[in-house]
Amino acid sequence: MRRLSLRITPLLAVLLVAACQAGPGQTVAPSPSAAQTPATTPTQAGTGTTLTDDEGTTLTLPAVPRTIVSLTPATTELLYALGAGDLLRGRTDADDYPPAASALPVVATYEGVQIEDVVAAAPDLVIAGGNNFTSAADVARLRELGIPVLVVYAADVDGVLADIRLVGRAVGAEQAAEVVVGAIGARIDEVMAAVAGLDRPRTFYEIGYLPDIYGPAPDSFVADMVSLAGGDPITTSDPAVFSISLERLLTLDPEVIVLGDAAYGTCPDGVVGRPGWAGMTAVRDGVVRPVDDIVVTRPGPRLGEGLAALALAIHPDAAIAPPTAGTDYCPTL
Amino acid sequence: MTSDVATRRLARAQPAWLERLRHRPLWLGALGLAALAVIAVAGVTLGGVAIAPADTLAILGHRLLGWPVAVTWPASAETIVLELRLPRVLMAAGVGAALSLAGVTLQGLLRNPLADPYVLGTASGAALGAAVALLVPVQFALLGFGLMHLLAFAGALGAVTVVYRVSRLGGLSSLTSVLLTGYAVGSLLAAGLAITMYLSGQNLRQIFFYLLGSFSLASWPQVAVGLPIILLGSVVLLTRARALNALLLGEETAAHLGLDVRRERLVMLAAASLVTAAAVAMAGLIGFVGLVVPHLVRLVAGPNARSLLPLSAIWGAAFLVLADLVARAPTELPVGVITGVIGAPFFLYVLRRYRGGYEL
Repeated sequence: MRRLSLRITPLLAVLLVAACQAGPGQTVAPSPSAAQTPATTPTQAGTGTTLTDDEGTTLTLPAVPRTIVSLTPATTELLYALGAGDLLRGRTDADDYPPAASALPVVATYEGVQIEDVVAAAPDLVIAGGNNFTSAADVARLRELGIPVLVVYAADVDGVLADIRLVGRAVGAEQAAEVVVGAIGARIDEVMAAVAGLDRPRTFYEIGYLPDIYGPAPDSFVADMVSLAGGDPITTSDPAVFSISLERLLTLDPEVIVLGDAAYGTCPDGVVGRPGWAGMTAVRDGVVRPVDDIVVTRPGPRLGEGLAALALAIHPDAAIAPPTAGTDYCPTL
Repeated sequence: MTSDVATRRLARAQPAWLERLRHRPLWLGALGLAALAVIAVAGVTLGGVAIAPADTLAILGHRLLGWPVAVTWPASAETIVLELRLPRVLMAAGVGAALSLAGVTLQGLLRNPLADPYVLGTASGAALGAAVALLVPVQFALLGFGLMHLLAFAGALGAVTVVYRVSRLGGLSSLTSVLLTGYAVGSLLAAGLAITMYLSGQNLRQIFFYLLGSFSLASWPQVAVGLPIILLGSVVLLTRARALNALLLGEETAAHLGLDVRRERLVMLAAASLVTAAAVAMAGLIGFVGLVVPHLVRLVAGPNARSLLPLSAIWGAAFLVLADLVARAPTELPVGVITGVIGAPFFLYVLRRYRGGYEL
């Protein structure tokens, strides 16, 4: 133990930073097994709702849930957007939106789900994050204890819309879910129409800079968002790899750099001074722009606004209404 | 002359009550059992969710002993007490006893005060097994154990087997050879672990927390499978007191005393590895218990394995249940950290108290 931990501590530190940065927005590579077509089958009136979650688990809710614990920031946002916020009895420590959510008791942290707290809240439904956003062991433990757990995981934008419908069905708010989906869909249509005729610049969405450069993996959610926003995404070499070497980045030569890590203190003026980065077109031309990573990558109801923000970072002159959500972390004086 | 001085200094340095206990192992055992009982009840009563002690006792009495008590508590309280905390306390006690017994045995067997249950590669083997399990995209569960637990168990036993067999190939004296082989194999496995972790992506968090050790996911099926294994190995270890005492005199002397050294060593290594593997599979890597509890007990009760083995099991169980209680009192912390935080200062204090007369 001693010997082991001494050796791996620096490595752990490095990897944990990566994991932390990938964590909150669930912006990691998709797991191929995640089903993206949640089939929901309403059964006869009065006998409950049968749902199939994104991991293929089927659960039947005898009635519309009256108490819910949400274990991802996105579903917490979504439940408020669906008008079900007052059913919430617990959240994770990363759930920061809407402001009302902050008043909920925290029942899960990066370290894991506090099973006792969830049991004490006696929820009719727990909504957890797939792809190990909520640890699979915690989900299994909750199910052992007889608590219904719906696991949601979206690998791309269509997956988010499907999840919104799935959660809407789970909490008996199908119509509200359609409204949210409709609003996001309208925003997506607006963005796609605005960028349709434009060039697609090679775009690097920076998830983190230190100690490695972290960027979207191929086919990941963020890469999908960049494509929709009218960029040609620069990705890591493999869906299972989250860091990208400076050599690879220089070779692929981004024309636009979007700073998803602006919330963590990275701003455009800091990028210019990075050793080796001056060789990139984006840095030479000064096309380095910050975005609010949470709005762009959180697979929740504000996704349409996030896409608009991302599209405006890539195409500042496109005919897109400015986003109504998100924080400017690098205000220019 | 010199020994006179040493004895006098020793007498000065030790509190009188501790000195008296040294010759009363039964008292120490009874005290340990009482402490274990108190700590275990506290472990079931206290936790993240506040449940009144009266309710806790009523739930335990009502469900386990059939007391005729009116049910005034919410169903969730019952689940928390019976399904979450009770198996957790039992598992912590079992793991604490197992690691302490394995520590006593390996320290004696290898005649090395720095030996702990993980010295022969069990820790790195288990860690690598657990990490590999997380890379396998198969969801699998058997009796409350996932692939991670099973591969950790297999990894721990596999590592020890390799160490044992490889150590017998060379020409070095067997003890040195086992220790050094254990170190080499452990280092190799640690490198494998580092690579696995680097490739693990989103699963890194699980590996990381597994390495820190925790009882937070203890469940009845796990207790039902894991504790019998620990019990079996512990009984074997407890019956080896005579052999362990003889081996402390050196292998040659032990052989002259009529001990089948090779066989005894194999039995003890196998049993110690078995309980360690079971402990590690259930709770991850919990350091310090297996190293320090044996030393503490040895300091107080002396080196005779007949009392050292059972006393270490009892006090190891009590210590780990307490550490787990502290680990989850305010917020959930890894118990492997707590064992060090409580244990190290206490150990230093006791070491300072006893300036002489300590032997393995």
